[in-house]
Amino acid sequence: MPGALDGVRILDLSWGIAGPLGVLLLAEQGADVIKVEPPGGDPFRAYDGYRVWNRSRRSLEVDLKSDRGEEVFEKLLGTADVLVESFRPGVMERLGFGYETVHAAHPGIIYLSCPAYPDGHRYAQRPGYDALVQASSGQMWEQPGWRTGPIFLHMPMPSMGAFYLISTGVLAALIAREGTGQGQHVTTSLYQGAMLYTTQIWQHLEKSNAPLHELMGKTYPPGVHQGMIFECADGWVHASIMSGLTPTKSQDAILGLDDAPDPFTFMALPAEEREAFNAKRREKFKEWKRDEIVAAFQEHNHAIEAIITPDEQFAHPQLIANGMVKTVVDPVVGETTQLGTPLHMFGTPTAIQGPQPMPGQHNDEILKELGL
Amino acid sequence: MTLALEGVRLIDFGQYLAGPFGPMVIGDLGAEVIKVEPVTGDGMRMATKPFFGCQRGKRDIALNLKQPRGLAIALELVGTADIVHHNMTAGVATKLGIDYADCKAVKPDIVYCNTWAYGLEGPLARFGGLDPLYQASSGLEHESGAVHEGNTPLYYRFGMCDASNAMLSVVAVLGALYHRTRTGEGQEVWTSLFDGGAIYTSDAHLVGGQPAPRPHLDKELMGVGATYRLYRTQDDDWICVASVTDDDFRTLCTVVGVPHIADDARFATAASRVEHRRQLESVLEPRFLTKTSSFWTRTFDDAGVPNEVPFDTRGGEAPLFDSDNVELGLVARYEHLVLGSMRQFGELIGFSETPALVGGPPPLVGQDTRTILHELGHKDPEIDGLIADGVCYEPDDHYAERFAN
Repeated sequence: MPGALDGVRILDLSWGIAGPLGVLLLAEQGADVIKVEPPGGDPFRAYDGYRVWNRSRRSLEVDLKSDRGEEVFEKLLGTADVLVESFRPGVMERLGFGYETVHAAHPGIIYLSCPAYPDGHRYAQRPGYDALVQASSGQMWEQPGWRTGPIFLHMPMPSMGAFYLISTGVLAALIAREGTGQGQHVTTSLYQGAMLYTTQIWQHLEKSNAPLHELMGKTYPPGVHQGMIFECADGWVHASIMSGLTPTKSQDAILGLDDAPDPFTFMALPAEEREAFNAKRREKFKEWKRDEIVAAFQEHNHAIEAIITPDEQFAHPQLIANGMVKTVVDPVVGETTQLGTPLHMFGTPTAIQGPQPMPGQHNDEILKELGL
Repeated sequence: MTLALEGVRLIDFGQYLAGPFGPMVIGDLGAEVIKVEPVTGDGMRMATKPFFGCQRGKRDIALNLKQPRGLAIALELVGTADIVHHNMTAGVATKLGIDYADCKAVKPDIVYCNTWAYGLEGPLARFGGLDPLYQASSGLEHESGAVHEGNTPLYYRFGMCDASNAMLSVVAVLGALYHRTRTGEGQEVWTSLFDGGAIYTSDAHLVGGQPAPRPHLDKELMGVGATYRLYRTQDDDWICVASVTDDDFRTLCTVVGVPHIADDARFATAASRVEHRRQLESVLEPRFLTKTSSFWTRTFDDAGVPNEVPFDTRGGEAPLFDSDNVELGLVARYEHLVLGSMRQFGELIGFSETPALVGGPPPLVGQDTRTILHELGHKDPEIDGLIADGVCYEPDDHYAERFAN
């Protein structure tokens, strides 16, 4: 069965995380993606994880600054539906392929730009590494940690928001094009990617009547859901008071604590009383092995997860059940285990289209298709 | 000008966060989103901030789906819609009578999306769940707290697995909608919080069964390498540097007054700087303490070293009043009927020809009940009866006693 984007051609000029990953969600819906990279390849290829984010596409190695490169790319544009780029504002113009130029010659093309900052922002020409956007957007100050002050987010949060905005922007413009027949300039940024994740925490309200505001706030030491993390004899777990199911035995009873209040009474207790009881819980958790307490909780309909390393995910029975553990034979390192495509679509199935390409691996094939 | 998703109607049966956030984003793109809310209110309303973060721009009809007349109205609405979206747990939609088969029966080309906690099938599919579980199962909390350094796992307070599930659902729904515009065929799609967590650590992979290298945080949560991290500066302030190329590293060393370090064999290449990270950091840390962050950022800017002073958001208020953010439309401003003026993030994607529309404030419970019922052809006497019988609800004089917002 063909994917939803069968027959849609995307030229991917992006480097980094957001562009390649945003394009991945389109490639694995069946789009024909050509990664257009400079001689020597996209510099981000040095990162090991890139072989996942860069898969499911072909590679054309071409120097856009040369006459020959310009000719090839111009011809390629004539076959394309979408262009995705992630340079600083102005770079594509200097290459001779800015939006206005491309749109004039190819009005059907959807041209997506994802620089670090929106064009027109005072930060627009500042360097765009993910960590720097974490800093400038305020996300480092928003995250509590084991010391006061800003915390470095291991997850590249701005990029991890922006990739969704790239996939979304391209799809919305493709749908609009079915009605108008016209392409357009779609713009987003890593900075807006960071803003995507402020939906639960950033809000100015003239009047506020909700006591839960304070509960959701930043605290030192970290609060909110942090309190449900427990250390076991051989690792850590994150428990939850809600599972959507009716428990057959209370968490405290499973742990071996018999004088426990019910979870909702507990939540309303003064902080000191909660803490005194939590101290008892923490002692009990330490008597259990991680995987044994997880199994015992789940058996009695309590939601809980072991806090594992990212590599341990591939053995998680639910990840396997979701069809998300895939073997990919990479051209550089051979057999790998990678995450599958997290879009489950019954009418237009998604699938990994192939491993990351080597730089220029498809030059001959693509030039031939273009009649060059 | 038309909007990107002009003329598209989405019926949102979701509650809490991972359900409603996706429809809000689809609404920002110009679709008409109708929230079908229980007459008792969305379970998330009591937490105003996170609730508001997922609801702007929606119309709202309050219906009791457990009553046959409530269900019948819901299906009438589905018959007028392009997309049905919700985050009910296993079996609930079927029990209510709004699962894919029910909706397809009244709208054969419907795009139907269920955002699950774990997934459609599998050992844990029966569970609902909250964001933190998937920050655990994906390895996020292990990395964010630097557990490998002996620390406690650390929860990210952004609720990003909720958002990830919602955004996956947006991408799946829009893919399905595009397919429908080309073929006329609808379909069923699903996503999950569990997969939504996993995509954040998707650079992790196994090579021949062994973990591929991946950078890790230090014990103090400063960064992932000596040249890609936060440094403490004079007066207990901070600066973040990203001088990952050899040239930028050399310039950084010169600016902070240790130019000879760049010639040290231990730090000559990116790989050797990883290997000797602690030694390099112990040279650089005391240098950064000697000057203010504003001195460093000016000096680094002049020398061309990528850097940024972390922005103190003052609890999230400062960015919502930042003049550049406001001017570029990155801040949305509304008047809420109960809570007055409000601000939240604005336009996340710009469209040159089909501009995104950031709609109105989060709706009151049942704010549009009567209007929507009129549109479906119901008359006032019948509507009054439905409200009197508790099948529907619209705001009345007792609203403030029943609902927080």
